[in-house]
Amino acid sequence: MTSPTTVQNSQVQKKQRKYSPLKEFWKSFKKQKAALLASIFIGLLIVVAIIGPYIAPYDPFEPDYDALLEGPSASHLAGTDEYGRDIFSRLIVGAKISLMVSFSAVFLGLILGTILGLISGYFGGWIDKVIMRSCDVLFSFPDLLLAIAIVALLGPGINNVIIAVMIFSVPSFARLVRGATLNAKENVYVEAAQSMGASHVRVLWKHIFPETISELIIFVTMRIGTAILAASGLSFLGLGASPEMPEWGVMLSSGRDYLGTSSHVVIMPGIAIFLTVLAFNLIGDGLRDVLDPKIKNN
Amino acid sequence: MNYVKKLVFVILCTLLLAACAEKDNSNASNTGEKSTTESGKVSSKNELVIAVNENFISMDPHNTGDTNSGSVQETMLEGLLGFDADGQIIKVLAEDYSISDNALEYTFKLQEGVTFHDGEQFNAEAVKANIERIMNDESLRLYSRGFSLISNVEILGDYDIKVTLKEPYGPMITRFGVAKMISPKMIKENLKDIPKQPVGTGPYKFVEWVQGDHLSIEKFDGYWGGGDRVSKITYKPVPENGSRVAMLKAGDAQVIYPVPAQNIDELSNNKDVEVNKVPSTIAHYVSLNTYKKPLDDIKVRQAFNYAVDKEAYIKVVNSGLGLPLDSIIPSKTVYYKQQKMYEHNIEKAKALLAEAGYPNGFDIEIWGNTNSDTMKGMQFIQQQLGQIGVKVEIKSMEEGTLSDEIYGAQTPDDAKLQMWYVSWSAYASDITNATKPLFHSVSFPPNGANTAYYHNTEADQLMDEANSISDVDRQAELYEKLQEIVYQDTPWIFLGVDEVVYGVRSNVSGVLVNPTGGLDVKNAKVE
Amino acid sequence: MWKYTARRIVEMIPILIVISILTFLFIHLIPGDPARLVAGKDATIEDVENVRHELGLDKPILKQYVDYMKNLMTGELGTSLTTGLPVIDMFKTRFMPSLHLTFLSMLWATLIGLMIGVFSAINKNKWPDYFGMVTAVSGISIPGFWLGLLLIQLFSVQLGLFPTGGLDGFSSYILPSLTLGAGIMSMIARFTRSSMLETLQADFIRTGRAKGLKEHSVIVTHALRNSLISVVTVAGLQFGFLLGGSVVVETVFSFPGMGRLLIDSIAFRDYPVIQSALLLFAFEFILVNLIVDVLYTVLNPKIQLDS
Repeated sequence: MTSPTTVQNSQVQKKQRKYSPLKEFWKSFKKQKAALLASIFIGLLIVVAIIGPYIAPYDPFEPDYDALLEGPSASHLAGTDEYGRDIFSRLIVGAKISLMVSFSAVFLGLILGTILGLISGYFGGWIDKVIMRSCDVLFSFPDLLLAIAIVALLGPGINNVIIAVMIFSVPSFARLVRGATLNAKENVYVEAAQSMGASHVRVLWKHIFPETISELIIFVTMRIGTAILAASGLSFLGLGASPEMPEWGVMLSSGRDYLGTSSHVVIMPGIAIFLTVLAFNLIGDGLRDVLDPKIKNN
Repeated sequence: MNYVKKLVFVILCTLLLAACAEKDNSNASNTGEKSTTESGKVSSKNELVIAVNENFISMDPHNTGDTNSGSVQETMLEGLLGFDADGQIIKVLAEDYSISDNALEYTFKLQEGVTFHDGEQFNAEAVKANIERIMNDESLRLYSRGFSLISNVEILGDYDIKVTLKEPYGPMITRFGVAKMISPKMIKENLKDIPKQPVGTGPYKFVEWVQGDHLSIEKFDGYWGGGDRVSKITYKPVPENGSRVAMLKAGDAQVIYPVPAQNIDELSNNKDVEVNKVPSTIAHYVSLNTYKKPLDDIKVRQAFNYAVDKEAYIKVVNSGLGLPLDSIIPSKTVYYKQQKMYEHNIEKAKALLAEAGYPNGFDIEIWGNTNSDTMKGMQFIQQQLGQIGVKVEIKSMEEGTLSDEIYGAQTPDDAKLQMWYVSWSAYASDITNATKPLFHSVSFPPNGANTAYYHNTEADQLMDEANSISDVDRQAELYEKLQEIVYQDTPWIFLGVDEVVYGVRSNVSGVLVNPTGGLDVKNAKVE
Repeated sequence: MWKYTARRIVEMIPILIVISILTFLFIHLIPGDPARLVAGKDATIEDVENVRHELGLDKPILKQYVDYMKNLMTGELGTSLTTGLPVIDMFKTRFMPSLHLTFLSMLWATLIGLMIGVFSAINKNKWPDYFGMVTAVSGISIPGFWLGLLLIQLFSVQLGLFPTGGLDGFSSYILPSLTLGAGIMSMIARFTRSSMLETLQADFIRTGRAKGLKEHSVIVTHALRNSLISVVTVAGLQFGFLLGGSVVVETVFSFPGMGRLLIDSIAFRDYPVIQSALLLFAFEFILVNLIVDVLYTVLNPKIQLDS
């Protein structure tokens, strides 16, 4: 859909921006108020994830059978859960697990998807067909089903949750990168590099990959949110992290039986997940407005 | 190609699709409308909506393994024998029966004047047709649960029949309660419809079953037992706990089963609904692999039992609902005898562990399925054993995977299982099934569910003898001894016995739940 | 175009065959023995083998596959291992509710999504834009089952407005479709917004403005129409996904659709049901993609399929 002129324009703009790309970026990003706010939130969250174990008021694993399902109060800011554990402490400590699961799943998916997408778009032909058809097949399977199969094959545990969530982000990354590669391949300097005898790997890495970066950054941000949701979906089916872990999805799904009676058990982790995913998506949107040349202002 | 042509093409395609959809649609909307009128909000006196926690699997009474399907069948179909509210055997289609001393011959005298919903007569021929159906089809559950042991079915008269076994089989009497009678005409002509819409002799007859949504039945006017009943009942599977409770509160359902433990208090305070508890035959335990280290040491197993606080278990995991498991079988099971429980005592547990050579504890795995209740229970065990220094890793596996992991081990040496958090339920009248598959050495996986790999020759002998006689006094003696021996050998962490809880709107009466969890609404009334 | 479509349909066949092989392998590869699950925990080896034989699971796997495909050619989907019912009967009652739910969710999600998207685009970086986008982004940020449970708690339990679950006519579709559509709505809103912003800067729009066309006419007739092209693609793909039934939403609302059937069948390793359901989903997905591609060309005269 992008007409050749816009692509070239954006090249020109990019080259001009190279003088101080960060400054330029910051200038535009500052205007995205929602995204800015969201970034602050995520920044704080990451800090909490790192120092969590030191600031948590209670041991997140320590049960107290005399304080089951207590509502929020001064001593338990977010109440206690079905074992009398402090929910606030669990949320704080769980931030690390939840972020780690989604970061690693998306990061692994990104690597694998990018490699497949680059190969597919660059070489074309039967390789492209095979990769894209495989992605279609993966796509046509319901997400959770795929995850169930993976967890059934690999067994339970947080590492396998990461792998399951990774696998269903691979096709999206592959498609995205393939598209961008196809566009970049048309560029004159790519042809020039090829004609000068640069190796495929070099052309892919030096000339094509950089062209996909801005779209990837946007997509990764959004995908992290999706990964958190996917992990909590797995927990809903009982296939997530080990049940004693304060992973947010696990907390949410094990608390769901108490919605009618002690709703804070399910509302608190729900809010944590919601706000975090929301923040990642808002940042993604903000980045898109800034980085995507197609909707550049002026 | 021009625009108009393209447009025509798309419209054609859409129409084609719409036509296909429409065709299906008309079918669906027929049943859809039906279901709206049949299963919509019911306010009349004569109808009941019952929400249960799981889908019905099959209406074939000879091939049913799940409680909920059994509950529905109970209204439409009857067996020679049946079960009372305590789960004990009563006579239904049999007016009388007797068992020979060697536990091989079962003789029944049948009720006269009973007709099936399709007008067929109930008599000895009909019983023979039913028993032979099960004997000849290996895939039926009941085949492998006793009926394969039948050597002969002999008609003694129009209403008298004798069944002879090849070898004694303790649970057989219970099986005659489970094996409901299907119309002989259906068995002859329409076998494939039995799982969908069975024809029996019960007070209700089948109306329709929309898979996954509802199953409805209506009063059978020609019922031999007479009686005044609700004219129509609709069952709905509603697996999500919160949704089921909401239905009862909103009056969308008049009966729900089970009531989730955490909602009992809330519902008890609601004057529109009534909550009832019944002790069940569902026992929760953790089987301990007695064949391998470290659980091969009885001191370790005893330590585990002392370390786990059963009161807290009931309070935390079951929201205060249930009774401690104080024998190897639940109290409702026939021949039950209470044992002296392992009281909660951390110090004693630690001492035993140290004696066994593990003063600092060890690492161990617990397995279980992915149900939220199981995960909750496993976490509790983890917390409790943590207090004596035993570090438990929870592995919750999807049911199919779990079953492969457990039954894939061909010998005790292959078994990777250490602890299994699980529950067991057998008919209250069937102590054989509550013991033999769990404690007999022939029942090591994959040949049964003795996942503790418990082997005690004396216990084996007691079970074998009890199984081969019909003298109830001697059986009682043998089973009491068995309970003592096994309880002392501690192949399990004995946890608790569920109380099953059902909720009804306060204008509904006559709903019963038996200890097996079967819901009996045959005599339900709405005011 | 007819040629293109015909070619695409022919191309579907090898893909479906590959998918059928993959799903077959996949099903037999995941751990779990249906014979054991059908026979029960207390069953002896002999019982389990009897069941296995009766269900035809003792045949070589290749033969099982060939038999399955042969039956498929004659329109037979086989018999469920757990219920003993024909698979086709189980699908009949489940398919339409899932389809209706999908349609309804798509309908409101697309309409509302488009509205929010357009509204945000023309108010770019102003408060209405922020409001619209935060609303939209919220939709994809909520865990589906959590939203579903909250909706049940609020609208069914507290207010008593809608049924809590099951399928009792139209009102049963409302809460599930809200839950299911929330994500789609967001996706469409955001997509509409960015594609509107893109087209609003395109040359022909500038020309239009320069020629003195009224702003709303520029937006409605030109920009929106142009954006619709990409929205159709997105909506179409989502439709394809949704047809697979939504496991989570169907579970929360005890909705008798395909997703729940699939989950139940997986729990019991009910091979014929899983196999047929997966094939059906793949078929639907490919078909929807085809329709989207064709629609795409119709809406966008610039693209030539035959080339």
